[in-house]
Order: sequence, then C-alpha cells, then structure tokens
Amino acid sequence: MRRSYLLATAACVTLACVPLAANAQFAPAGSGGSPTASVPGPGNADEPTATTPASTSRFSGPSPYAPQAPGVNAANLPDIGSMDPNDVPQMVPQQSAAPAQGDWSAYGRDDSQTRYSPLSEITPQNADQLKVAFVYHTGSYPRPGQVNKWAAETTPIKVGDGLYMCSAQNDIMKLDPATGKEIWRHNINEKYESIPYTAACKGVTYFTSSQVPEGQPCHNRILEGTLDMRLIAVDAATGNLCEGFGHGGQVNLMQGLGESVPGFVSMTTPPPVINGVVVVNHEVLDGQRRWAPSGVIRGYDAESGKFLWAWDVNNPNDHSQPTGNNHYSRGTPNSWAAMTGDNALGLVYVPTGNSASDYYSALRSPEENKVSSAVVAIDVKTGAPRWVFQTAHKDVWDYDIGSQATLMDMPGPDGQPVPALIMPTKRGQTFVLDRRDGKPILPVEERPAPSPGVIPGDPRTPTQPWSTGMPALRVPDLKETDMWGMSPIDQLFCRVKFRRANYTGEFTPPSVDKPWIEYPGYNGGSDWGSMSYDPQSGILIANWNITPMYDQLVTRKKADQLGLMPIDDPNYKPGGGGAEGNGAMDGTPYGIVVTPFWNQYTGMMCNRPPYGMITAIDMKHGQKVLWQHPLGTARANGPWGLPTGLPWEIGTPNNGGSVVTAGGLVFIAAATDNQIRAIDEHTGKVVWSAVLPGGGQANPMTYEANGHQYVAIMAGGHHFMMTPVSDQLVVYALPDHKG
Amino acid sequence: MPNTYYGNRTLTEWLTFVLGVVIVLVGLFFVIEGAELAMLGGSVYYVLCGILLVASGVFMVLGRTIGAFLYLGALAYTWVWSLWEVGFSPIDLMPRAMGPTMLGILVFLTIPVLRRLETRRTLRGAV
Repeated sequence: MRRSYLLATAACVTLACVPLAANAQFAPAGSGGSPTASVPGPGNADEPTATTPASTSRFSGPSPYAPQAPGVNAANLPDIGSMDPNDVPQMVPQQSAAPAQGDWSAYGRDDSQTRYSPLSEITPQNADQLKVAFVYHTGSYPRPGQVNKWAAETTPIKVGDGLYMCSAQNDIMKLDPATGKEIWRHNINEKYESIPYTAACKGVTYFTSSQVPEGQPCHNRILEGTLDMRLIAVDAATGNLCEGFGHGGQVNLMQGLGESVPGFVSMTTPPPVINGVVVVNHEVLDGQRRWAPSGVIRGYDAESGKFLWAWDVNNPNDHSQPTGNNHYSRGTPNSWAAMTGDNALGLVYVPTGNSASDYYSALRSPEENKVSSAVVAIDVKTGAPRWVFQTAHKDVWDYDIGSQATLMDMPGPDGQPVPALIMPTKRGQTFVLDRRDGKPILPVEERPAPSPGVIPGDPRTPTQPWSTGMPALRVPDLKETDMWGMSPIDQLFCRVKFRRANYTGEFTPPSVDKPWIEYPGYNGGSDWGSMSYDPQSGILIANWNITPMYDQLVTRKKADQLGLMPIDDPNYKPGGGGAEGNGAMDGTPYGIVVTPFWNQYTGMMCNRPPYGMITAIDMKHGQKVLWQHPLGTARANGPWGLPTGLPWEIGTPNNGGSVVTAGGLVFIAAATDNQIRAIDEHTGKVVWSAVLPGGGQANPMTYEANGHQYVAIMAGGHHFMMTPVSDQLVVYALPDHKG
Repeated sequence: MPNTYYGNRTLTEWLTFVLGVVIVLVGLFFVIEGAELAMLGGSVYYVLCGILLVASGVFMVLGRTIGAFLYLGALAYTWVWSLWEVGFSPIDLMPRAMGPTMLGILVFLTIPVLRRLETRRTLRGAV
C-alpha cells in the first residue's frame, strides 16, 4: 500500500513534466520562414531626392522630403538661430570638474565619468545594516491601455542641497537629499506617442552660467534632453524655465532633421557641457528604414541655447544648420550612449551606433563606414572630428556602442601619465585609447573575420579589431555542448536550433536562407551601464552579458507578410515594432527578424548559464582580472517566466552599471533578480543585497547629506528585460540616518 | 494479450502503463529531433538513446520487465555520455542527466509491478 502511494506521487511528478513534450511542436527556427523568394540585389545607395518615386514595398515610410508630422516639434518652438562658436563665453569651472566630496555632480559623478565616490561611511563591515531611508515616486509608469515601453534608467545627480533627477517621461525634479521631499517639480507634459523604443531618461546635467550672476535665476541650471527632442534649461533653485535659453528655456532639436514622426528620434542621455558648449546626440529608432532621420551630433551655446555647429556624417565639411526644405543627411549613424566631455582637450567623445538599417550595409556611404560603431572625438569649437577609433568595421550585428567612455590616466612609456579613455563595447572588447589622438594605449589587433559573407553586394570586411591588452568580457564562441535546458528535451531543442543556424563566431555574416547566431548580442558585453573606475585602487568594475541573439534577414516579400513597417508608415501602431526586435529596414532589400537565442516555449535562454557577469580588472598591474563571478540570482527568473525563488547566483542578463566607493564597495543592481547589492571591491564577495520594488535597470549613485552617506537606485524596471516597472527611486542609508 | 487485463488493473499497474507511455513519447521526440540533429552534424546520442527509450516504453506498456531494464540501460548510457561530454560539471550535468535519473527512480519502482504483471500473465498462459 505504502509503495503504491509513493509510486502515485512520483508518477504525478512525472506527469507534471509532460508539458515539456510541448516542445515537440517544433516551429520553424527563427520564424524566418523558408527562403522562397529570390535574393534581391543591393538597391540604391544614394539618399532619395525630392523627386525619387515612392517605394513599391507594401509598407513604407514617406519621402524624406515630406514635412514633419504634427507633434514632432513637441512644444511648437520657433527655429533657433545660429552663432559663431568663437563667441561662446568663457565657461566658469563647473561642479562636475571637481565635485564636493559628498556630491555626485554628473551622470558618472564627475567630468571623467568614473562613477567613483570618495565616500567611505558604508564599508564591507557595515553594509549589511543598510535600510531604506526614503522612496520617491516619479509618477511615470504605463497607464491602462498603454503598451509597456518603460525603463526609466535614471541616475539622479546631487549638487549641494539638491538631488536632481528626471522621470522616465522627462519631468524634472529637485529632492531634498536627506528626506526625499520634493522641493520643486517641473512637468514638461510629454506625450505617450513620443516614447520611442523605451521611455528612459538617464539623467540631467548641472550647469553654472558665467553670464548670469550668482543669486540670479538660472545662474545654476539643470539641462535636459527629452524623448520628444527638446533641450530644456530650468533654474536649479526654482525649477522655472530659463527665459534666456532658447525660446523661453527650450530648443527644438527636431529642427533640420526633416521628415519624422513622434517616437522616431529621441534623447535619453544627459548632454555634456564642454567649454560652454552643450552637445546633444539622439537615438534613432533601429531597424525602421534606411532613410531614417539623421544621427547628426550638434553643439549649442549652454548660455543662450543658440546653435553652434553640427557634425553631419555625409556633409563632413558643412557644420551649419540646414535651411529651407533641406535636412541633415539621413540614415547616418546615431549615437544614443552618454557622451563624455574633455574641457582640457576641447573634445567630446561620442560613442556612435550604426547607420540606419543595422543589419544591411550595402547602402552606406564610405563616410558612414568610417565612423559607425566607433568613438569619435569631436572638437567642440568646430564640430569637426579630431580622431575616430572604430570598434567594429561595417557593423551589421548591432554592436553599436551603448556605454559611456570613462576618462583616466594610464602610465606612459616614459613614466608620464597619458590621458586615456576606456571605451567598453557590446562586443566585450574594452578599448583603452589615448585621448589626444585616439591611438590605442593597450594593444589592438586586426584579426581575420569571416568575409565576404553571403549577401550579394554587401561584403564583410576581412578583419575586425580586438583589444588584446584587456581581458575579454565574453565567453568563448558557443558550441553545441553549451546548449542548456531543464531536461534533455529542451536541451535537444536548443541543440537543433543551434545546428540549424549559421555560426562562425562573433562576426558570423548575416544570412537570409537560414538564421545566424549572434554572440555577443545587442545586449552586450557591456551596454549602457558603462564601467566604474576607482582611480585610487586602479580597479575597473565591469558588468556584462552573455545573451546571444538569433537573427535572420528576410526578403522584402516576407517582411511585408510579417507586417514589418517603419514607424512613420501610416499603418504603424505603437508597440508594433521596436528597436531591438524585428524591423522593416524599409529602403533596403531585406527586413530583419531578431529574437533572443532562447527556447521560445519555456522562455529560457538556449545557452548555459551564466547570462550575466561582473568583473574587476586591476588597471594598475597589467590589466589582470582580480575577481569575476556571475551577477544575479535565479530568485525572480525561471522557466515560463515563473520565479524560482532560488538564491542560486546563476548570473542573469543585466542592464545598468555600478558605483565604486572609497569605502571599498561596489553598488550594483542591473540584474533581472530585482536586487541591489553591495560587493566588496577587493574580493568580489556580495556583502549586502536587498529586493527592489521594480527592476534595478539603472546606474545607482551615492552621495552625502547631513554628514551621512546614501545610496540611490531607480527601480524603474525594464520592459525588454521583463522586470517589473515601477516609478520608485529607492534610497538606502545606515539605520541611524533614515530620513 | 495484455489488453485483456485492462479492466482489473491496480493503480500501480496503471501508473506503470502511463510511465511507459511517457517514455515512448520522450523517446519519439528524441528519435525525430535527434535524427535531425545528427543529420545537421550534431550529437548522435539523442537518436540512439531515443531508440532505446521507445523500445523501453513499448515493453513497459506491454507489461514486460525488460522495458524497465532497457530504460536503466539507456540511463547508464546517458550518464556515460554526459560525463564524456561535460565531465563532472553540475551545471552541465543537470540538463543531461537529472531528468532521466529522476525518471529512472520511477522506472526502478515499477520493476516489481512489471514482474507481477509478467507472473500473472505466465499463470494465465498468456505470454
């Protein structure tokens, strides 16, 4: 009797596993379908003119010469005038040049964007006592009926008596840093339609004017670039718009961009100010169309908001604003990562992305091919690049740079420090360059890559750059035996999926007849979280992903069948196609189908864990890995999206960066387990963790108020990372100092 | 024929039957997908193991002890192959060997049931 009871229980357990057999309903891998239509030719490489006939594709955007749709100039601002860059007033020393000990004056704390704080009250010994000091609600989250496109990604800045931040939809606020009480809030009334791929506002910029005397409104200003492409300046003391900036405190950044619709082009990063020049970049929604709005980089006078210069890739010698019906050259590489300024050299370091239509390069100009997926150092006096360092040649893998460059000093050959720049990439290759000329300080090798590939008229380059002097933030190329699962059933599914795809390593050329595996994928390696660097210990902290993608080019016919259309197509519905998924790539012969390399029935990645890592690199002693371990537990993840509750440090995908402190701690959330943790900088041991009310996909920051140290993290969640969205900024402190 | 005994099966006999069906289904998935994998240049383990599993499951459904022993043989093959492929790495052994081992425990428990079925059949002269 007892035995049969046992058997019954066991058999029920087995039956519970039967849904695994659902895997037997084997779908065509990558949903790319069979390659029935013939492979088309390369198409026309020139930007259409005003008289070019309309596209014959079933879905396609309007002519680039069509007028901007209503709402694109969100605040209906008049055009901004230009001024001579030589007339930009001398900038006074900024807070971010030398932040006060307890301040966090810029996105990456200081002008070097180190994400290092000299605060030391919280240490590995007392971090386990950290408690919530206060929570602040920004009020921005998806309302009923709205597609969840939220991922606030916000890092507040702290200057003096204020904690300044933005909501996911760009409302700006000043909080009391000790209590979280709202001192002022400036609502900018951004529309839902203006949200591109993601409602994100990574932060705001603190700027001190040399023209407005101290004590007057707008002597200290908060500058912000918005999703609906406004550059806004408000008074740091009151939150009121700065009347002397642009038109009533705002500049319309859609000026000169030509045809567009709300949500196509947007700013998500804080604009840096270099020698009085505020530089703006913007993301252009990936995958829409070859002739998407320009990725132009522009400089404006931080005092008056007047236009100074533009760096327009396909008009390299014209740094002025377009007039009349003209526009900046379309489809050029956009830059959506946070930029880094360098007052001493008068440069802004622009991490660039890819030309529009990321996965097909035959229609790109030689000028674009020189500067895509690169670091471009632009002279803020002229708008002309002084040097370019490319991290992926003729990128068709979405290895665009998401990270912000961090500035530091490297020992030179003669013992003198060399001004250096650390550029993390999605490839997991970290390049260390001389800021003066862009030459690698640590060795970079051009290694053979699969070439020419399979797409007619679109050959791949024979070599790609590898940073051999830095530890690679990646695992070796995938093998069939790296496939994983809960059981041999789903493992077999993934093994077949692996073998069905083309895969010849990191630079596997795109293909249309069958899928190809892209590893590292578009989530990194290193993404926008960037790195933190402790200049005292010389320790560089990097978190990174092991999340391969499964991609396939599809013919235009197939793309039309799949309903892939650019965002400015009249049939487009919000949420109908995102930056990081399937894309129409209208204007090219192909569309693109992109999915994570996962088991679509269980929602588990096909490759073995870990999926996310954190690494400490000793930059002072030969760039050795000090420690490295998986980042993120399985507590909130599992098959079919079910949380397992397991404390197992499996290493989850992560988005968002780290902070390193003089107290010897690294603070980081980022992982999809919705936790923030403190890690001992020297050993890698996790000494504290706490569960957040939403996903911690943001860079944390730390500051001092009333003599005590606080750690702040925006638990905004991330729609693509499938973590819970919230509007809460959570701030921690040691127990005696709760607000 | 075993079918003549459907009417008066005990619970354990039913569960043994169900387990056999599950093993047949898993085995069929292994054979079909494993054959594709082998043809794509991947591991031949799955198609071979799948054949063993189908045979094992069919015999268990028929109430034959050999079915259980075939499964245990497939399990032994699985462990040998897993250790050959990934060594003693727990994270990699988990997808390969954990499920089959758990199933193996159940199969082991069915041996007395299958023996009883066989004995009954022998007594009735219906081998």
